[in-house]
Amino acid sequence: MEIKELIKNNEIIGIVSNYENNLNINGYVKDIDIKDLSKALKMVLLDDSYLDKKVSDLTLNEQFKIELMTKLNKEVIIIGNLSKVLNNKDIDYFKKLFLKLNNNYHKKIVIIDNDIKVFFNLVKRIYVMKNKKILYDTDNFFDHELYKYVKCPKIVDFIFYLEENNKEIMCTTDIYELIKDIYRRVS
Amino acid sequence: MEEVTSVTIVSTNINKDILNNYNSYHVIDKSFKIEELLQYKKIIFFNVFNELDDVKIKEIYKYLDDNHILYINVTNNMEEVLATKYLIIYDKDKILIEGPTLEVLKNEKLLKRIGLNLPFIVELSLYLKDYNLIDKIYLNKESLVGDLWK
Repeated sequence: MEIKELIKNNEIIGIVSNYENNLNINGYVKDIDIKDLSKALKMVLLDDSYLDKKVSDLTLNEQFKIELMTKLNKEVIIIGNLSKVLNNKDIDYFKKLFLKLNNNYHKKIVIIDNDIKVFFNLVKRIYVMKNKKILYDTDNFFDHELYKYVKCPKIVDFIFYLEENNKEIMCTTDIYELIKDIYRRVS
Repeated sequence: MEEVTSVTIVSTNINKDILNNYNSYHVIDKSFKIEELLQYKKIIFFNVFNELDDVKIKEIYKYLDDNHILYINVTNNMEEVLATKYLIIYDKDKILIEGPTLEVLKNEKLLKRIGLNLPFIVELSLYLKDYNLIDKIYLNKESLVGDLWK
């Protein structure tokens, strides 16, 4: 199955799979064919100092940003490996950017990553994919079956542990909500 | 650093240039079989543990410890830092801070400023400590839950 076939509406979906970077730019950043390059660089947290740099000389983090920049005008944006190359602050920024692109410009967005945390508060549905086959899909981060295929994020693992030990707790992917709920229950 | 046998390096801008500082280490940057590691005395893992669970990572580290192999794990994932006793934080291409892992993690504000969160269990402990629900930082869920619901 092709990835684009999974998107039915204007939505953001998450795919658990390995992602091969497909940035095929050998030259300089300034030679990338984008209308307002300065503005596009800012949108991906880079600046004009990158114009005279070779794409191949950039770090993985910077190459991710350049790759995303080249895809911003596409109807369907497929991008991956956020968890492998970005820090938490950058991930939070790009999640907000994806939501904005989806809400305001109706972009269809596919995020491919092996870390479920990247999908929190972002995707409508998660697909586990291997060799172009869908092994599992769900819209619930607290679906135990999902974690037969993928590493369980720490906050979900913690909540599962409480449930296994008969401690009532709210299912949340937000650490602040979790803390408030623990406080309500144990203080 | 020469005296420590296991190190995690977290970089805010992960790049293979970092490996130039550790030329005497054999680089592992893709999936591997644990038995293959035995042929090396010093190993550096480059961003390979993302898909492995904690049990598997512990198993690999134990195997390396048992066989007296020195190892460094280069990652951008702060959840991996608790598995080694020494931690080095790179901000872009420079060392920002290094030391025993728990000492480095005390610099929460500095880490957050460069875009790194604390490991989940440490962050949760810190907040619950602020709420006076616990009085120390826990490194595993079993101990934390045992203290909270005692």
